Amino acid sequence: MTLTNIRSKVLRIYPPDTNTDEVISGKYKYDELDLKKLAVHAFESIDPTFYADAQKVKKPILVAANNFGCGSSREQAPQVILACDVSCIIAESYARIFYRNGFNIGLPLIECPGIAKNAKQGDELEVDFTKNVVINHTTGKTLPMKPIPAFMQELLEAGGLMPYLKAKHEKK
Amino acid sequence: MGKTLAEKILSEKSGTDCVPGDIVTVPVDFVFSHDGTMPLAIQQMEKELSTRKVFDPKKVAGICDHASPSPSEQVSNVQIFMRKFARENRMPHFFENGDGICHQIVAERFAAPGKIVIGADSHTCTHGALAAFGTGMGSTDVGAIMAYGTTWLRVPESYKFQIDGDLPRFVTSKDVFLHIVREITADGATYMSMEFLGSTVKKMSVESRLVMSNMAIEAGGKVGLCAADEKVRAFLAKYGRAGEYRELAPDKGARYAKELNVDATKLEPLIAAPHRVDNVRPVSELAGMELDQVCIGSCTNGRLEDIKTAAEILKGAKVHPHTRLVVYAASRGVLLEAMKAGYIQTLVEAGAAVCPPGCGFCIGRTVALGDGEKVLSTQNRNFKGRMGNNKAEIYLSSVPVAAVSAICGKVTDPREVMK
Ligand code: SF4
Repeated sequence: MTLTNIRSKVLRIYPPDTNTDEVISGKYKYDELDLKKLAVHAFESIDPTFYADAQKVKKPILVAANNFGCGSSREQAPQVILACDVSCIIAESYARIFYRNGFNIGLPLIECPGIAKNAKQGDELEVDFTKNVVINHTTGKTLPMKPIPAFMQELLEAGGLMPYLKAKHEKK
Repeated sequence: MGKTLAEKILSEKSGTDCVPGDIVTVPVDFVFSHDGTMPLAIQQMEKELSTRKVFDPKKVAGICDHASPSPSEQVSNVQIFMRKFARENRMPHFFENGDGICHQIVAERFAAPGKIVIGADSHTCTHGALAAFGTGMGSTDVGAIMAYGTTWLRVPESYKFQIDGDLPRFVTSKDVFLHIVREITADGATYMSMEFLGSTVKKMSVESRLVMSNMAIEAGGKVGLCAADEKVRAFLAKYGRAGEYRELAPDKGARYAKELNVDATKLEPLIAAPHRVDNVRPVSELAGMELDQVCIGSCTNGRLEDIKTAAEILKGAKVHPHTRLVVYAASRGVLLEAMKAGYIQTLVEAGAAVCPPGCGFCIGRTVALGDGEKVLSTQNRNFKGRMGNNKAEIYLSSVPVAAVSAICGKVTDPREVMK
């Protein structure tokens, strides 16, 4: 069982320690339970045109430096990114809770050291799960990525934690 | 092979002889969420698992603390949604506006050595001070735990913080942590179990240990554990839970992936400057900077010893006319004790605005800052916009530094003015 490769354009490159308050401001999370509506405010405080620009690229890829998604546990952070139809995030590293939340909701998070310096906005990237590499088709450069742990792969294949658990409990 | 605290708890709970990197399934002893995360957890349960029934009503709590007392009709509606869920599940533990911050309530009433405590809040690592494996998760995880009562965990590598020696006067556990995060940076312990050991920690009250464990996440930690000793027994006994005590310490030959030694005698009062927790400076470097507001409270520093320290410093003094002082006790229990001891009287007389227990200023839901304002707070995070305004500057410190600075209206080193 392997995941299908992801190929798309880079929409944004975020700096180190981009926190979940920056992904979605705490002030909205209490007021709105509809994630599609919440998505309009994604990255608003640091990147006001994010939402509008995300509409223009088909299934865009986000790139980030280290410790992406640090701070609060709010799951609304990966949720709004998913609601913007982002296909995956490729970062140097992730904060723990964000990493877990991403896989739980079916958003692939790729760990790829060096990616932030080796990709530009608009570059065409391909995540190759069979060879565990990220290929930049614009520059022709290939970088190794950390293989996705087997358990996380199972979660992604099931479509997230809930469908995974549901299937498991129904089998019992 | 010797085990660290994290490895010991997870081996026991999973019934396996686990090592870092293993993924284990464990029963959850207590799970909670709050008005910022519980609605989404319920929604995930309902939508994805087609159930609203919790696995064991006694092991699940809902807490209205983040926006409490509710400041808007949206929040009030979200809280109604939570209440309804708690009632239909006959959950005995539902906490209302004014009962306190989730982590303080859980520390007082539910966390204990060796337990697995999961909260839909990043600061659930707080409970490591009681040697509970406390860690924060998102709403989907918590929704799944509320339904099934188990969760998966990757066994973390462990990072040992060997802290020895007596802390100088006016230097607190907050400064110990700020020193650590300055040394290892905001992602220095990502995915790891931070274990705070040594003679300094042994001497500390459980309340002081809770400060370090609470902030473990600010260095990326998964948990922030301390050993369970007599002090933990006394803490549990205070809340009528002595029976839940057991001794817990890392094995002698425990293998730590990383170690950092801290000489407590050399530490000084510290401040984390905007907009990063690891942007740490000695108070002396920022001394004299004028402050618009000082905040004392939060799940980091809103316990009785904190309120006591603030009251002792502010007794007979007045908050500077150009500065506001806002104080939140971390729980109803803390507030009642502080009232009984006369601390609240002292703080109100000194000019503080004392608010009902809750998160309050920490996320700017019920106390927000104005444009360009500078605030010194005892909370754990100073990200841009954290306190409700992108254009405000947040500085973090211990309670003594905050209290003295409130009197002076500017950042002040307590060692300079309190002889
Ligand atoms: S006091 Fe602040 S950090 Fe603590 S739980 Fe509340 S919002 Fe979170």
